[in-house]
Amino acid sequence: MDAVINRFIFLLKKQGVRISPAESLDAMQALAWVTLQDRDTVRAVLCSTLIKDVRDQPVFEELFEQFFGLPKVSPTPESAAEPPPHRETAPEEPPATVAEQTQITGQPDGDNAHEDALDIRDYFDAESMATHFNSHQDANDLSLAEFGQNLVLSRNRDLLDQVMRKAMQLLKARRMKNAGRAGELNLDEAIAALDADVIADAVTELLDELNDMDVDENLIKQLSSRLDGGIANLPELLKRYLERELALQPPPKGSERPRRAARDYRFSEQERREMTEIVHRLCRRMRGARSYRRHISHHGRISVPLTLRRNMKYEGIPFQPVMTHYRNEKPRLVVICDVSLSVRNTARFMLHLVYNLQSLFGQVRSFAFVSDLVEVSACFEQQGIDEAISTVFNGSLIDTDVDSNYGHALSLFHNRHLAVVTPQTTVIILGDGRGNRNPPQVWVLEEIRRRAKQLLWLSPEPRGSWKMGSCDMPLYEPVCHQTEVVRNLRQLGQVAENLLRRSVTPH
Amino acid sequence: MFASIEHTIAQLREQQYLCDRKLATVAFLALQMRKPILIEGPAGVGKTELAKAVAATLNRQLIRLQCYGGLDEAHALYEWEYGKQLLYTQILRDKIGRLFEGVGDLHEAVGQLHLHEDVFFSEHFLVRRPILQAIDSSEPVVLLIDELDRAEEQFEAFLLEVLSDFQVTVPEIGTVKATTIPYVIITSNNTRDLSDALKRRCLHLFIGYPDEQRELDIIRMKVPELRETLAAQVVAVIRRLRALELRKAPSISETLDWAQALVLLNADALTPTLLEETLHLLIKYERDTQQVNERLPWIVESLQSRSSPETLSAAETPLHPPARPAEPDVNYLEQRRQEHTARYFTSYRGRTDGRTGG
Repeated sequence: MDAVINRFIFLLKKQGVRISPAESLDAMQALAWVTLQDRDTVRAVLCSTLIKDVRDQPVFEELFEQFFGLPKVSPTPESAAEPPPHRETAPEEPPATVAEQTQITGQPDGDNAHEDALDIRDYFDAESMATHFNSHQDANDLSLAEFGQNLVLSRNRDLLDQVMRKAMQLLKARRMKNAGRAGELNLDEAIAALDADVIADAVTELLDELNDMDVDENLIKQLSSRLDGGIANLPELLKRYLERELALQPPPKGSERPRRAARDYRFSEQERREMTEIVHRLCRRMRGARSYRRHISHHGRISVPLTLRRNMKYEGIPFQPVMTHYRNEKPRLVVICDVSLSVRNTARFMLHLVYNLQSLFGQVRSFAFVSDLVEVSACFEQQGIDEAISTVFNGSLIDTDVDSNYGHALSLFHNRHLAVVTPQTTVIILGDGRGNRNPPQVWVLEEIRRRAKQLLWLSPEPRGSWKMGSCDMPLYEPVCHQTEVVRNLRQLGQVAENLLRRSVTPH
Repeated sequence: MFASIEHTIAQLREQQYLCDRKLATVAFLALQMRKPILIEGPAGVGKTELAKAVAATLNRQLIRLQCYGGLDEAHALYEWEYGKQLLYTQILRDKIGRLFEGVGDLHEAVGQLHLHEDVFFSEHFLVRRPILQAIDSSEPVVLLIDELDRAEEQFEAFLLEVLSDFQVTVPEIGTVKATTIPYVIITSNNTRDLSDALKRRCLHLFIGYPDEQRELDIIRMKVPELRETLAAQVVAVIRRLRALELRKAPSISETLDWAQALVLLNADALTPTLLEETLHLLIKYERDTQQVNERLPWIVESLQSRSSPETLSAAETPLHPPARPAEPDVNYLEQRRQEHTARYFTSYRGRTDGRTGG
């Protein structure tokens, strides 16, 4: 069972779920406490021990379905985010034998976890087929017997790997000699050259090993009786294997389209100075959260322990009270900036603002987006203002030529970077909210607001035109703590002034 | 003691806590594996209730630590009782004076005092805060760390030692090991992500809204006075409300409050007027109220079709609220939009191609 679970964890990791060894051990331990007869229990156990983030749950559910899939289950609908590249190959598979199936799974792991998952599912179908012959198991429950058999077969992955690799090597050597066109396979020849002994040896070895472990007798018989078929079907297998290999290779380089030449984005000294000053004023408003530790000061509450300690010399009579208060921490900022064409003119100004914010605060994470979202904090930290802004615009980080898609960008932020938003964070979004009629995904913004200390939206577009066209600002506005129209320094100054005035007036 | 998963479900049910198999599995495992449970989920789905139910089932004391911003170890783990220390020094002054009889010089006196130092830093002067209490108790307890996400990240670090090894290090005394292993339940409302180090040490559980049948069972159990048909109607309406994109969807606690209110109002059946009058028990935001009022006919529809409880299990398909009513004068708006975009983009210096969008 360990091997099966390990394999499952490995696949989860490939999907980007972070699982530590300690958690894997927990999962194994936990499984020992429950019966494996019940599918939902196993699912609950694995989920609670391995998945520590709600956002990873869909991945887990999907993989669980595939990995421990039921025999006649209809394929689960794939998540829209990650369409599997070779889904089509699965259904048109010939009704394969058990031996063959095990060999399919024996292929080396590609980079693509989906394919792996697919294979595993095929493989499990075959498994359950095998159990049907000899047992009275209900087709709809995942039994311990199946678990056990899965375990045995997956132990031999290395062996099967070797067979497939060897076959591939021979095949590749052939191709080199023939110097045919790339991608075209001459399978007949390859198979003729393939050392049949290699395969036969490996398969006998596999069977021996199976014999050593206490596996279902019938399964072994089946395996051996279908062996011949497996070898006969090898060309087909190899072809599929090769197709996958080819598909896994990265697309040829050099197809990138020429980027727009970087315009010169220069700021005058005057502009820089004014901006810095205004941002300074703005910052005073954006206080951080109360700090965690108390500091000794002249105001605040009397701290009994400290007072007693200091007044020990007066025999405990409190002549000198000690007061402590919580200091405000520097704010943490997250800036999300739209750099699409529609805001191109003001985006320059906005990025200038981002740059200044970042240089003033210690903890600023900045992101730029058009349709894709990318973190630009590092780029802004290392480069000068002019270089940094032209890096963003010349399209080397993100494609700036596509139509802006706020919904997509927000979802990306939700999936990848939501952890940077904490109750101490102020989130500033710079953009006009024109999502080109894509789904606006307002819920992401609500989630951000729920987590953040403050959510501020600065739009370059005058309020009057928000209701026109495909602008989603009316949807976004009620979610934000504050929305302001800012398109130049003067307006930014006013906003800063307003914010300050409001903070000074008593509640 | 939980003997098996089924037993866990039954035991919790006795304490008026209905749970699904998943929750029971985790609750059972936590006891067997001596691991804390980390529960996440929307407010009001019974995260804190679980701790209470478990404590009652296992017949253990419940120690609760409510987290808040600025919570530090002095409030969660332990604190020295300075006043008591001072008082004792004053009272015992004679005795302390006698210690130094016949002591030659200062060095010797300090050496002498050093021998008795641990008197004043002993457990007598330690104020036990919830976590130390839980660890130090002679009887096993249930420790509830509520809404951990409200405390700062630094506070989580204090918990790590407690959660994995069940011990607390007090610098002046040494390490206090747990005499009994507490059953730890941590809840979080997910206002920030907890650290991986903490998550790694816990069993993770996400509690969402219950399905229709279970919610009905919960209402029957907690508000037995409510009529059967009314309960079915309540569940039907709640389900439709959750299908809307509300800022705060009604959770179980709100459902129960509402059911309780309907009992107090002596309602026989849920009528649209009654629904409208009691809506503020379910909806907590102004904007949500607006949205619900717009879709009221669709919600009320469920009252007619669902007056008998037999049809309850029929609809398992996800509910889709109807689209918002179309805005008036679409053509006019469309026309204005085109005019506007034309003006909008030509007024930009960089944009001369006349393309819209972007």
